[in-house]
Amino acid sequence: MNARTAGTGNRNSEAEDLLEVEDLSVGYRTKRGFMRAVDGISFSLKKGRSLGLVGESGCGKTTVGMTLMGLLPPNGEVRGGRILFKGEDLVQKTEEEMQRLRWNEIAMIFQAAMNALNPVQRVEKQIAEAILTHAPDLPEEEALRRVEGLFQMVNLPGERMHDYPHQYSGGMKQRAIIAMALACNPDLIIADEPTTALDVIVQHQILEEIKALQDDLGISLIFISHDISIVADVSHDIGVMYAGQLVEYGSREEVFGDPRHYYTRALLASYPTLAGEKRDLVPIPGETPSLVAPPSGCRFCDRCDAAAEACSLERPDWLEISPTHRVLCARCLSS
Amino acid sequence: MELRSFIFRRLIQVVVIFFIIQTALFLLFRLAPGDPVERMVDPTMTPEDADRLVAVLGLDQPLWTQYAIYLRNFFQGEFGTSFYYGQPVVEIIWEKLPNTILLFTTSIILSALVGIALGKIAAWHKGSRTDTWLTIGSLVTHTVFLPWLALLLIWVFAYKLGWFPITGMISEDVWLDPGAGLWAKALDIGHHLVLPLSTLFLIHFGSSLLVMRSSMLDTLKEDYILTARAKGLTDKEVRNRHAARNAALPVVTGVGLGLAFSINGGALTETVFTWPGIGRELVFAVSHADYPLAQAAFLLIALVVLVANVIVDVLYAYLDPRIRY
Repeated sequence: MNARTAGTGNRNSEAEDLLEVEDLSVGYRTKRGFMRAVDGISFSLKKGRSLGLVGESGCGKTTVGMTLMGLLPPNGEVRGGRILFKGEDLVQKTEEEMQRLRWNEIAMIFQAAMNALNPVQRVEKQIAEAILTHAPDLPEEEALRRVEGLFQMVNLPGERMHDYPHQYSGGMKQRAIIAMALACNPDLIIADEPTTALDVIVQHQILEEIKALQDDLGISLIFISHDISIVADVSHDIGVMYAGQLVEYGSREEVFGDPRHYYTRALLASYPTLAGEKRDLVPIPGETPSLVAPPSGCRFCDRCDAAAEACSLERPDWLEISPTHRVLCARCLSS
Repeated sequence: MELRSFIFRRLIQVVVIFFIIQTALFLLFRLAPGDPVERMVDPTMTPEDADRLVAVLGLDQPLWTQYAIYLRNFFQGEFGTSFYYGQPVVEIIWEKLPNTILLFTTSIILSALVGIALGKIAAWHKGSRTDTWLTIGSLVTHTVFLPWLALLLIWVFAYKLGWFPITGMISEDVWLDPGAGLWAKALDIGHHLVLPLSTLFLIHFGSSLLVMRSSMLDTLKEDYILTARAKGLTDKEVRNRHAARNAALPVVTGVGLGLAFSINGGALTETVFTWPGIGRELVFAVSHADYPLAQAAFLLIALVVLVANVIVDVLYAYLDPRIRY
């Protein structure tokens, strides 16, 4: 915890941005060429706020998370842009600097359905390992006591911390993973599809807990999901991603109350809702464009109802609907 | 506690399988072409002695009775007398067994440990020159003809360079010297052990290396490896604490399964180096038609393989908490 306050000085007033992503481009070298998984996205996140990144599979949302953690696979590469975290550019940091930063300042909540926990180690050991990695002088008993406290925070019975992951249910695993993410009191947590594998009831409980913990601890959260209803539930701000680009960005109320991009509208129309009037679900026709050779104009125009001829030729510009709401569409004002 | 009941059940299995092997062995020795009396009774005996032995072994009785006598003899620890040595088979076995255990366990443990360590490095530096050489090297030593390798080692290191003794397990001058202490004797055995051990090691470490390498490559794709990296662990910590530990599990299985196949290599090695062990005794007994000795040696080897497999199973249950039987 000391490292956290000492490292950067006290520049974090309430209004200060914890994280500023500027024109970030990330891709993967593949046999077919360089795949631009993330193409020039920008957003910022204030302390204690939560941002939901939503989009279909392959839109680049997970790549954004991995880039923030500095955990791109060997063929991944940041091609441009900056990631300012507490004023320091993470893109420029060395692997060693990133190792010190990981988990201590930016932690991650993985999907429980993945083998995010090592199957042959006790859960307590894995969480204590995270603590001890960043506080090597801490006695192990003290680390284990902290693990017990973390278990309480996420409503897991303390005695189960001695178990192995396979002795847990899916919901318990997810709670343990959240406990692990909180282990070093990070400033930012990236939650990548944290509830996707859980049944609806457990999913709801976990989401409520994440929200409550985020409020209590004042942690900033980036919530990545393909499920727009979940994102709506936990996030203050929403970023809609499509084919490697951010296409709409604004507060939850703005994006869901007044969706401007046709993709956002289509996405909302394709999801069922319990509240509100009954309506037909509308699937989005077509496929996402190739990210190796993306189209020069709007990337959604092939699937867009309102596309005009110019849409496929000219790269759309950002339009400000309000100071906090912007959209990457040339025709969103015409309707 | 469940582990204890597992071990108990496995031991019962061992008893059953051993009984089957024993029966098969009995049948094989009796069904082989030729006169069983000729095989089981020492040709150099006087006719009177031979008749007495025929009566003891029940060789003039029907097969079922012979089988009953065979089992009774087994439970009484009576394996007959070696034709060649004229000594009870049990005595010979007890004398040679420790030598084989020394050579075998050392080579198996050493090759598994080195295979795991090198396989880990090869996988971590996949596609590098280190990886290529380790993979090619282990394939070559793994597939080379064992007696040739053994003779090559003898020729180079014992004959040309004179670093190690050519044959045997002890030097008589050391063991007959009353002034030689335990340490000198142990050192002498160690000196003799180097070449046969190297032979078995070179033959075996490759399979552990290759299994470890591919297992490690699979493990590195696991999500918990990503978690470990995300926690801020260094590459070395990720590799050793999370990847290697889990990747080594299949190697343990491989060693257990490979044990049965390593017996013949052991017998060849013991023969080439005249290492006074069970394997050499077996080859010797078969080539000299010393049936009582051969039969006992076969049984013993079966028993060793069975018990070793139980040990591997238990070890596996200990290493992987998901395995509970």
